[in-house]
Amino acid sequence: MGMKILVIGSGPIVIGQAAEFDYAGTQACKSLREEGHEVVLINSNPATIMTDEETADRVYIEPLTPEFCERVIEREKPEGLLPTLGGQTGLNLASALAQRGVLEKHNVKMLGTPLSAIQQAEDREAFRALMRELNEPVPESWIVESEEQLEAILDEVPYPCIVRPAYTLGGTGGGIATTREDLRAIGSNGLKLSMRSQIMVERSLLGWKEVEYEVMRDGAGNCITICNMENFDPMGVHTGDSIVIAPSQTLSDIEYHMLRTAALKIIRALKIEGGCNVQLALSPESFDYYIIEVNPRVSRSSALASKATGYPIARVAAKIAVGKTLDEIENQVTGTTKACFEPALDYCVVKIPRWPFDKFESGDRTLFTQMKATGEVMAIDRSFETAFLKAIRGLEVRQKDLWHEKFAGRRSVMGGPPADSPLSDEELEQAIRVPTDERLWAIAEGLRRGWDIGRINRLCRVDTWFLEKMKELVAVEQALLHFESFSTTPEIMDSVLRRAFELGFSYDQIASYLGVTGELVADMERQKEALSGLANPEAIQAGQFDRGIEALGVAIASNPVAKSEFDAFWSKYDANDPVFLARFFAVGKLKEHSGGAVFKMVDTCAGEFESQTPYFYSTTGIESDLVSQ
Amino acid sequence: MNRTVLVLGSGPIRIGQGIEFDYSCVHCVWALREMGYRPIIVNNNPETVSTDFDTGDGLYFEPVTLVDIQRILKHENPIGVVTQFGGQTAINLAEPLARRGVNILGTSAEAIRKAEDRDEFDKLLIDLGINKPQGRAVRSLGAAIEVAREVGYPVLVRPSFVLGGRAMEIVTSEDHLARYYAFAEEANPGQPVLVDKYMLGTEAEVDVISDGTDTLVPGIMQHIERAGVHSGDSMAVYPPVSLSRETEWRMVDIACKIAKALGVKGLMNIQFVVDDSGEVFVIEVNPRASRTVPYLSKVSGIPMVQLATRCMMGQTLKELGYGSGLWCATGGRVKDFGSADARIEGIVATAAQYLGDGFRQSNIFAVKAPVFSFQKLSKVEPSLGPEMKSTGEVLGIDHRYEGALYKAMIASGIQFKEGKRVALTLSASDKEHAKTIASKLAQSGYEIVCTQGTHDELSKHGIQSILAKKLQEGSPNLLDMLHAGEIGLMINTPGSRLENTVEAQRIRRGCIEAGVACITSIDTALALCEALDLFQNPELASCLPYTEYLGVS
Repeated sequence: MGMKILVIGSGPIVIGQAAEFDYAGTQACKSLREEGHEVVLINSNPATIMTDEETADRVYIEPLTPEFCERVIEREKPEGLLPTLGGQTGLNLASALAQRGVLEKHNVKMLGTPLSAIQQAEDREAFRALMRELNEPVPESWIVESEEQLEAILDEVPYPCIVRPAYTLGGTGGGIATTREDLRAIGSNGLKLSMRSQIMVERSLLGWKEVEYEVMRDGAGNCITICNMENFDPMGVHTGDSIVIAPSQTLSDIEYHMLRTAALKIIRALKIEGGCNVQLALSPESFDYYIIEVNPRVSRSSALASKATGYPIARVAAKIAVGKTLDEIENQVTGTTKACFEPALDYCVVKIPRWPFDKFESGDRTLFTQMKATGEVMAIDRSFETAFLKAIRGLEVRQKDLWHEKFAGRRSVMGGPPADSPLSDEELEQAIRVPTDERLWAIAEGLRRGWDIGRINRLCRVDTWFLEKMKELVAVEQALLHFESFSTTPEIMDSVLRRAFELGFSYDQIASYLGVTGELVADMERQKEALSGLANPEAIQAGQFDRGIEALGVAIASNPVAKSEFDAFWSKYDANDPVFLARFFAVGKLKEHSGGAVFKMVDTCAGEFESQTPYFYSTTGIESDLVSQ
Repeated sequence: MNRTVLVLGSGPIRIGQGIEFDYSCVHCVWALREMGYRPIIVNNNPETVSTDFDTGDGLYFEPVTLVDIQRILKHENPIGVVTQFGGQTAINLAEPLARRGVNILGTSAEAIRKAEDRDEFDKLLIDLGINKPQGRAVRSLGAAIEVAREVGYPVLVRPSFVLGGRAMEIVTSEDHLARYYAFAEEANPGQPVLVDKYMLGTEAEVDVISDGTDTLVPGIMQHIERAGVHSGDSMAVYPPVSLSRETEWRMVDIACKIAKALGVKGLMNIQFVVDDSGEVFVIEVNPRASRTVPYLSKVSGIPMVQLATRCMMGQTLKELGYGSGLWCATGGRVKDFGSADARIEGIVATAAQYLGDGFRQSNIFAVKAPVFSFQKLSKVEPSLGPEMKSTGEVLGIDHRYEGALYKAMIASGIQFKEGKRVALTLSASDKEHAKTIASKLAQSGYEIVCTQGTHDELSKHGIQSILAKKLQEGSPNLLDMLHAGEIGLMINTPGSRLENTVEAQRIRRGCIEAGVACITSIDTALALCEALDLFQNPELASCLPYTEYLGVS
């Protein structure tokens, strides 16, 4: 039997509440209508697909205030309300409507996760009580609801401590207090910004690993894990501002299952019907962990988990909200499995936030518990290194890899070592210690200076596994930069280039490290014919590049156009400069390697079942999942 | 037969390139699919609909960069690439792709370059007899000073080829120009700098669809804040509320001429400034989908991306049942003809029709308002200027302009907090409006708090106000009152950058910290006054599905 359902959108894009709710809302509206329900939507943001006439049966582009929502309810008389798709805005509105008695008066039923569960997850005290009952650890904390209470705890709490206001977007108004004075200032600001004048002051877990689990539960009590994600940045940076990796890379099997069990236990106890995000902190030295936060709704993290696995979380959550169970819902990505199959990943996903500091140069770049990123990019590849480089390349910032001029200095035009780095060691240490949008490049510079992993880890607390991976990327970058001293033979030259490709450096980047940029690129482009014959002449195989050039000239002599380009090129560049020759041949090799990209499929099941949805990522070298069109 | 088309997405969401571009990409993909093509998408933003598993017929979760796209092209060998819907990210790739022999669908790479190259575009405008603010591109401070002297201060300066208003500034003196130039030179070495006469007039913009011959203008949006506020940060109203029909038609005419001259196939955005005499000047042209496309599509009833995609693929507006002119929705729904294209009834008005008597239009006003995230960004100055600062937008729709204004304002967070006190501190150049604003507020029962200058001004006109101390005058001052929760709304307009004092900045940041709405443009404040009635009586505003405002039920 079809129902009339009101869906509340998330309103305008603000930091902490971005496009992920358009994706979720659109998917959910489609999903509900598939089930034969009539969807009424309210959202004030016109720049969304969800507010298209085609997405819902009736679309109200009206302000997201309780008053306007009530008017929509009066006019439409919906039977159900789905509040978990509009982010914190949607949840807050639904709570306000319930409190004002609007839902009761018009006989509107809350669908999906019950309001009581939402409140239990969002109200710190209620949540702590539940965790105690479940025997799940939560960090010691103090609830503060007035300036007086704040004064009273100043001497009681352990410093540094974290301040988190309740009921705000993206942790607005939170911060880390290292002194009484800090706590007084941040706490009092947080009280003002919280919808309920409530903040929590909490033991700091700075330096612990931050891990998230995306879990789902249906009305019958079936629970699954969609995926887990690990933050590159340890505790202390808002997860919206953290680099995130899925699945986790540095957890042991015991740790993975320990945290998974905790997440599932919590979603069961809260009786959530739909998707839920559980954030946990794990000690890098022991098996100690704490539950940090539970988001009983679709969120930025669930959008990421959804795209990372191919599992359509919002679509499934909407169906659960109207009474379907996981085993009844089809997995549309495969078309052959059901939604109760936990996704399996045979690749690595890296998300990097996009910050607005290119626009706001005067802005405070420090990252803490208050989110500052406006958006994010995600990259999929076969390894952490490749996905990491791909994500950086996709940020559309000046930096295309681990090189940042602010830390590493300017590279000279013809390759070779840069001018001295503009930062002193002390300044660099500070840049690694304090989390900012630029920290990953500061870490890379530390590695470039040969600092050992332990030293960098003590500064930033980023797991040594990630630092080891970055170290290798920097090593390859250095090999490219000092190419002539490394590449004494074609074999070594070839292996350096191959390694660079395997680790995810792109053609353009490698060429730029080799000093092949600008005019030279264009000139070399015109040498296509000569370069395509590169692999063959024996002289080149033997490393006698100068003789190789002669051989090439002979090889293409029968083609007058190629020959004249060839002659023009060598009248402009010095065929007797061994460094130049090495670079020239390297670029030829580069062409060969860059042809090696293949495409792999994202199918939620690591290739175990047939899959119908064409969702791909590129990688180097190995066999393709994709037949060329 | 190969029917594959690659659509370039817009990458991560950032200020200046938001969710609007994803909206356009998704609609393009859907239109292509409807036409029987096989649309595939490349994008790396996990938050969006375009990267949903079932949006396109293929999804490449890859960075939107030249190297990555080339790899995909090699595999897919599509008939062409769509670059006009993915914002600046995608349009910037048109030229390098075209140079490598890739077919750019719709508006050609050559036309895109022509629209973005300052010298060539200036020449085109002169040939077409279209006005633009005086000025040109320069490569030295000397030349910049020369241009500024020629056209007179203030001048608007910006680096060329950098869109989204980045590093744009209104310069008032030679000193100021020298400082700016040094900064621009360092930021973009070797790049020319554009120096233009800064015209203080009414701004308006259009997004148009062209097939290369005919050009359809779905509507005109008038900016509420005057020129100098970035178009992404200004409120805008559709249809215009204070432009003459002749002025409006001049914009339609200009848009048609430019689209035809460039050979636009698809979407184009043009921004105008209108001076006191009603003369229309072109200030910017973007040969691509802009951020107002979703807004205008919804309130005009024209499926803009759908039509643009069809034009891009070779269909003509005439074939699609449209033609050249200004679209006027007249209410009601047309039965679909052919495909699902035309849904809202209306006509493509010609000059004679539009300028003639008794012309009937649908009864809709739609106001777009920007939304900011200053609460999350400490140390960022929240006043409006030529650089874009907003992260999102809301739309207020109503049958009356005031209703649409009211809804846009409350939806974007401009509202009165508890109490009835409004603080009013205006810059010297805005003082003339103090009386209008204050008397309207007073009539609606609000108390006005202001510092000495404005207080004196109001006293002259017999309007009562509460005198507050300036920050340096000790306590209790405006900031103290803000923190004590005694101010319900702040109107604080900054002067030029030079007189943008530390005090004004502290007050504006104070508002953000106290969660009090702060209006920083005199025009926004004047608009607020027009909607005061609705703030008092919200029930006067309608609440309807948006298509009903267009007369569709």
